[in-house]
Amino acid sequence: MPVAEGKNVQQTVELLTRKLEMLGAEKQGTFCVDCETYHTAASTLGSQGQAGKLMYVMHNSEYPLSCFALFENGPCLIADTNFDVLMVKLKGFFQSAKASKIETRGTRYQYCDFLVKVGTVTMGPSARGISVEVEYGPCVVANDCWNLLLEFLQSFLGSHIPGAPAVFGNRHDAVYSPADTMVQYMELFNKIRKQQQVPVSGIR
Amino acid sequence: MVTTTYHKAGSVLDHSLESLIHRLRGLCDNMEPETFLDHEMVFLLKGQQASPFVLRARRSMDRAGTPWHLRYLGQPEMGDKNRHALVRNCVDIATSENLTDFLMEMGFRMDHEFVAKGHLFRKGIMKIMVYKIFRILVPGNTESTEALSLSYLVELSVVAPAGQDMVSDDMRNFAEQLKPLVHLEKIDPKRLM
Repeated sequence: MPVAEGKNVQQTVELLTRKLEMLGAEKQGTFCVDCETYHTAASTLGSQGQAGKLMYVMHNSEYPLSCFALFENGPCLIADTNFDVLMVKLKGFFQSAKASKIETRGTRYQYCDFLVKVGTVTMGPSARGISVEVEYGPCVVANDCWNLLLEFLQSFLGSHIPGAPAVFGNRHDAVYSPADTMVQYMELFNKIRKQQQVPVSGIR
Repeated sequence: MVTTTYHKAGSVLDHSLESLIHRLRGLCDNMEPETFLDHEMVFLLKGQQASPFVLRARRSMDRAGTPWHLRYLGQPEMGDKNRHALVRNCVDIATSENLTDFLMEMGFRMDHEFVAKGHLFRKGIMKIMVYKIFRILVPGNTESTEALSLSYLVELSVVAPAGQDMVSDDMRNFAEQLKPLVHLEKIDPKRLM
């Protein structure tokens, strides 16, 4: 469940990771989630008679053999990494929006049953925000553990806790799936893209 | 990874099926032939290009929980006319079950669909399929189908990295062993249009 915040990106990330380490969380490698945006090429639009749609193709290091393709408010397809090869074949019909690639990279922390990932969101060379993802391993139904997640988040995010993710809508009792995570990252990335560039200093 | 598919096909009348299956059981790797029941849908994306982009979506009707299979097949490779098999680029992708909804969202429209029911054999990297095609009478309803013909389609194919031309020689040698029950040939897709 990603959350964006921060004035100075680098310092805030360090603050968060230090808090986590003080709680007792253990570092467990790194993670990366990236997102590329495609839009229907003009040549296809003419004959379809519909407004151009944006399609997002995403990868998550937690699922290294998969590729996620989604439309906003539309279906999310989970495919194997050959989907990227197909997108190359489709380049006459779907074009990559210029300089649209956005990604978040950072450290994974394990704290008991919680997996926390704090990442710096970048577009090209510039850092644009921070993502925090928390996963509660034992539970697959969102409604059953939402309060627990909130309580845990409060312990290191203080007042910056988010509201219930929109991806659940009315389906609070549905079984959680990786597609739900990717939809949330897509929404976060879109929100960050629209924000003004965050003033940064000392970013390596 | 873009791979290449090598392909030869032929057909046998219904009454010759048993003899062919018997010979294939002798020649091929499996002890018991594997059967399959698949539903395939062919989608087109029309643009201003002359020819639409074709994708084939296939799902198993008898094995619950298996991923859907999306396949792109390129144009046949121009090259050695003496090559024994049809050679095309292909990209194979396993996907989640919402594939058709997703393709429609991308702008694809279904051109046609069919059900394929038959047997699958393997010999090394060669795959031999003997199956019957069924026309779907009401779009989307795979329960109500009718056989397209009184014969079974026989396909010999290999998916391999590009440029392995000895593959088509191996296929020719295998095809020889199936004569006279069935004659497998390189089918020119343009002839069928």
